[in-house]
Amino acid sequence: MNDTVIKTKQLTKKYGDQTVVNKVNLHVKKGRIYGLLGRNGAGKTTIMKMILGLTPITSGSSEVFGNSLSGNEKKIYPRIGAIIENPGFYPNLTGTENLEIFAKLRGTASPDAVKNTLEIVGLPYKDKKTFGKYSLGMKQRLGIANAILHDPELLILDEPTNGLDPIGIAEVRDFIKKLSVEHGKTILISSHILSEIAILADDIGIIDRGILLEESSMSELEKRNRKYILLQVSDIPKTVLILEQRFNVKDYFVQDEQTVRIYDTTLNIGEINKALVMEDITVISSGICHDTLEDYFKKITGGEGIA
Amino acid sequence: MRALLNLIQIEFCKLRRKKLIWLMLLSAFVMPFFAFLYFRYFGNTGLDPVMFYKWSAFGYTIFIILPFVLGVLSIMLIHDENRYDMLKQLWIVPVSKMGYFFSKFFVVLIYSICFMLITALASVLFSVIPNYVEFEWSSILFLVEKCIEIGVLTAFATLPILATSVSQEGYILPVCVTLIYVFAGIFIVQVNAYFHPLSCILVIIARNGVIPGGLPEINVILALLIICVWGSFSILLANITLARESKVE
Repeated sequence: MNDTVIKTKQLTKKYGDQTVVNKVNLHVKKGRIYGLLGRNGAGKTTIMKMILGLTPITSGSSEVFGNSLSGNEKKIYPRIGAIIENPGFYPNLTGTENLEIFAKLRGTASPDAVKNTLEIVGLPYKDKKTFGKYSLGMKQRLGIANAILHDPELLILDEPTNGLDPIGIAEVRDFIKKLSVEHGKTILISSHILSEIAILADDIGIIDRGILLEESSMSELEKRNRKYILLQVSDIPKTVLILEQRFNVKDYFVQDEQTVRIYDTTLNIGEINKALVMEDITVISSGICHDTLEDYFKKITGGEGIA
Repeated sequence: MRALLNLIQIEFCKLRRKKLIWLMLLSAFVMPFFAFLYFRYFGNTGLDPVMFYKWSAFGYTIFIILPFVLGVLSIMLIHDENRYDMLKQLWIVPVSKMGYFFSKFFVVLIYSICFMLITALASVLFSVIPNYVEFEWSSILFLVEKCIEIGVLTAFATLPILATSVSQEGYILPVCVTLIYVFAGIFIVQVNAYFHPLSCILVIIARNGVIPGGLPEINVILALLIICVWGSFSILLANITLARESKVE
C-alpha cells in the first residue's frame, strides 16, 4: 500500500545561477503532520510552490497522491487545501462572501460548508466587515478557512500562524492537530518557529539554504539525538584520554575547555567520576542531559539557532 | 459551458460594493446630454432622429467614452486579483486559465451592452422629451439595434486592453495602453479605417449608409476580420501570459 502522499525526488529550483532548492527528497506520509523547518529564505515556500505546481521545477520531480501534478490538476487540486504566503482575498467582500466565491468555484456540495468552516476558525458568519478591514490574524484565519472549506485530504500550510496572537497560535495549532488526529488529514506545514514544529509535527524536515539536511520522525529524532552524559571537568585532554582508554568511549564531543559530551548513556556516571577524581581531575558537574530541538538544529545547520 | 457560466456569475459577485462600476455607467449620459445641449443651442426641432443619435450614440461614445470605460473596467477586473496575490489561490482550485480570461471578457461584454442600452435610453429621453425628434418606434428600434451592435463590437475591440491587463501586475501600463489605444483609434481612422478595431466598428455600424457623413467606402467583412485578428492575438497573448503567470516566480 502506498502511504506516501507527497514525494519529491531530487527537487531543484534555480533562479539564474542561484540555487534556492537543491535536490530535495521529501516524503510526506498519509495521515501525518510533516513539519518543514527552516530559517526565513531557506526555501520552504519554494518547495511548497513547486509541489503545488505554482512555480516551475528546474530539475527533479514531485508526486502528489502518487501522480505528477502536471496533467492531473483537475484530479489532484480538489484533494488539496493550501495557504501559500499571505492569503489574498477580495478586499471589497466580507469573509463569508469571499468563502462563498471559493465554494462556488470548487462546487462545494454542502450548503453549510461556509458557515461551518467560519465557525471552526472562529470568524463570524454573515458579518458586515469587509476583508480589506480585517486584521492580519483574521486574514490568516480566513486563509485557513479557505484551505479546509472543501474538506481536502491534504493540507499544505505555509507558515499558517503568521500574524496570529499567542492565543490564536495555540488555537490554530490545536485545530491542525485535531485535523490530523481526528480526521486523518495529511498536513505539510512550514515554519521558522521551531517550538511550533516540535509541538505539532509527527515528521520533520530540516532545510537550510535549500538543502534538506534531515528528514526523520520526531520520535526517532528524539531517540537518536537527544541523550548524552555531560561532564564538566578541570582538565579536558586528560579526561578524554581516560574516557578513551578505560571506558572505550569513541562517540564524544568536546564542547569547550571544560565540557565534554558522551553520547553513550549506558556508561556508569559514578564510575567515570571516580576514575577522574582518582586521576586528580576536578569534576565540576556530571549528569545525563537532553538536547533540545534547537540544539540539534544548531548542530546540523552548523549555525545559529532558530526562534 | 456550465463552468464558464459559473465563472461569469462569480465575476459579478466579485463586483459587489465597487461603486466606480456604477459611477462609470453615468458616463453613458454624457453624449446624449451634450447632443441635447447642442440642438438646444441651435433651436432645432423636427430633426431626423439619426442626426440626433449620430451625436448622442454614434460619435464620441464609440470612439472615446465606451472604449475608455471598458478599458478601466478590464483593468479593475484584473488588477485586484494581481494586487492581492489571489491568482495562485484561483489556480489551485483549479480555475482554467482561459475560463478565467473569458469570464472577465463576458463581464466586459455584458457591461458594454448595458452601457449602450443606457445610452440609447438617454438618447431617446434627451431627444423626444424636448421635442427635437418625434417619437417613432422604428427609429428607436434602429437606435437600440445599433447600440447593441456597438456594445458587442466594442467589447471585442477591448480584448487587447484586457489581454494587456492580464499580462501586467500593475495598472499604470494598462491605463497608458488604454489611453493610447483609444486615441490611436481616432487618429488612425483618418488614415486607414481598416487597421484599428475601434475604427472598424465605425465601418460596421455605418454600413448601408445608414449614418449620415459615414465612411465613403465600406468593407464590412474586412472590418470584421480586422477585429477578429486583433481579438485572436489578444487571446493568444492572454493565454501565453496566464500560462506563465500560473507558474508564479
